[in-house]
Amino acid sequence: MGLIRAVFDAAFRQGGGRLKPVGPRWPLLLFHVDTGGCGGCGMELQALATGPYDAQGAGFGFVQSPRAADALLVTGAVTRAMMPVLETAWQAMPTPKGLICVGNCAVDGGIFTESYAVMGGLDRKVQIDLRIPGCPPSPQDVLEGLCSLFGKRLEDSAAAVQADGAGSSSTSS
Amino acid sequence: MDPVAHIRAGAETGTPWRFRLEELAWRDLVDGLKQAKLPFAGLWCDGTDVHVLFLPHGNQPLAATLALEDGRYPALSPARAVSSLYERMVFDLYGAEAMWARDVRPLVDHEVWSSTTPLAVTPGPAGGHKGMIAFEPSEAFTAVEGLAAGVGPATGRMEAPCHVALTLRGETIAAAETVTGYAHRGMALRWRNSRVDDACRLTGRVAAGCSAAHQVAFCQAIEAACGEQIGHEVSQLRVVLLELERCVQHLYTLAALAREAGAVLVASRCMWFREQILKEAAPVIGSRLLMDHCVPGGVSLRSASEVGDLCTRLTELGDDIYPGLADLWRSYPGLSARLAGVGVLDRAGWERVGLDGPVARASGSDSDCRRDMRLYDGLWRFTAGRQEGSVEDRAAVLVDEVGESLRMLGDLVPRLGLTAGGRIDLSYQDGEGIGMTEGPWGRVLYWVRLLNGRVEHVFLRDPSYPALMAFESMLPGQNVADVALIKASLGVNAAALDG
Repeated sequence: MGLIRAVFDAAFRQGGGRLKPVGPRWPLLLFHVDTGGCGGCGMELQALATGPYDAQGAGFGFVQSPRAADALLVTGAVTRAMMPVLETAWQAMPTPKGLICVGNCAVDGGIFTESYAVMGGLDRKVQIDLRIPGCPPSPQDVLEGLCSLFGKRLEDSAAAVQADGAGSSSTSS
Repeated sequence: MDPVAHIRAGAETGTPWRFRLEELAWRDLVDGLKQAKLPFAGLWCDGTDVHVLFLPHGNQPLAATLALEDGRYPALSPARAVSSLYERMVFDLYGAEAMWARDVRPLVDHEVWSSTTPLAVTPGPAGGHKGMIAFEPSEAFTAVEGLAAGVGPATGRMEAPCHVALTLRGETIAAAETVTGYAHRGMALRWRNSRVDDACRLTGRVAAGCSAAHQVAFCQAIEAACGEQIGHEVSQLRVVLLELERCVQHLYTLAALAREAGAVLVASRCMWFREQILKEAAPVIGSRLLMDHCVPGGVSLRSASEVGDLCTRLTELGDDIYPGLADLWRSYPGLSARLAGVGVLDRAGWERVGLDGPVARASGSDSDCRRDMRLYDGLWRFTAGRQEGSVEDRAAVLVDEVGESLRMLGDLVPRLGLTAGGRIDLSYQDGEGIGMTEGPWGRVLYWVRLLNGRVEHVFLRDPSYPALMAFESMLPGQNVADVALIKASLGVNAAALDG
């Protein structure tokens, strides 16, 4: 596929002078593209961003421009109409950058296998840095998957969901 | 001419409410519809015939069928504006041309597919377009002068992809048109000759947030085609799914509206309430977005016997949180002022496109599919809220409906008893059936035809087509900063729209 793969390997790991520092004060910024699905994964991402999961506290933020993003977060089965849009968003992102597939559709098409209009996910087409399967994955699953990028387990956020109160809610841009 | 009598004068088919017309009679029907107020529900093609569906009285269907002649049929769009979207879809999928159609631009096929007219007997060659989809403006759009702008399809807003092309004069929108088809997954082809359970799973993925409504309507259609009826208690479990879905989806929409209006705290409160509900419901129902819990012949819940307790807990939760949230919506500083007068949809606006659901109810319509549904006997009641038709009114109606849905969940408790749910075995006989229900955004209707134990053809009507037309026609005169707000308030959903 025409999606050009840039170097992500060094991006979020230990070492390397060019790396963006990551951690609570340096959120990993995600740009979401729905490539044509039912929209369920997008709804769960919205719940993660606005609901009481404290995604920001765990070190993740959502941005509305690919130029400000560190990772492209793809949901949906990748329709042929959306592939060029996805490529354009990818090209617009600064390096280093990563590709994260959320939901079965984005990984291998899920219920929407390849057809005249659908390419059936990104698996085996481009290099995917992180796969978060599910139909749809819950916000908790997504957050746990994202945290696994840093090799850390989700403890604080799990506690935040259990906590019963609006005080634990947070919002992100 | 009375169009109902005119259709009934056609040749009878195997389905009691569907009649076959000759081409001249069909043309007379189109002429007659220009003067009559017969509510139009949709138009579809199955490769050899084209069908049009009306709802003359409540939920009573009436359909007319015309055989395609040389791949053509007289268009309905001169009499029903929204038919133009169905006609464009039929052309893109089957290559069947609507004669005298109001709009012949492609709707979902932008020459990027691996075959054109994919559902035709002989699909066409692959589209030759490379790269981003090009916007093809209508003549009316190009006639307006101003600064060209556009939004989408990748906005970072976690919504289904759709492009809105705008012509601006200063900050005011002078003309607007949408480009759809980005989310087209080929549902019609996937449904064709699929197994019934697979088709049901697909209906749950037409549009997330309305999954239960789609699956309940689909299952009703399948059961109607088989001539079977499910038990009362199981049908009440379906009502629980429907009302729970309406409640959480309205909260989701309200959060989106508050966020777009800059009231981040209100958005956060709505999403938090939604999460509280889902935290209670998901372990009992089995999933958060209520997908795949309604199956042909019954329901499939993780723990059906606990649904009664769940409804009690949700009612208590509602008693705790809902009054404060409703109050916050009314009193949050600046929120009402921000939404008031924005995106006003008047009576003529929704009547022209046949829009229903909460959007039309906020503009003075009393359309509600639940009124005539047996599932809701003794449960649904007429409530009238704000009727001025602005975004503020639509939000207020959504807030009211959250309260009503919570009330219904409470009323359902004694009806559920200790029902164990489950499903009856259906014997899939050849036939047609129709099923409908009131989804979060309005009437969701499925027509299915079964053949040899499989789903041969599916037609889906949901409010996304009229919502898109209302959205396009409403934008001129609005501020460009309000596009996302208006879109969210009308329930424009590209996932449902593109199919």
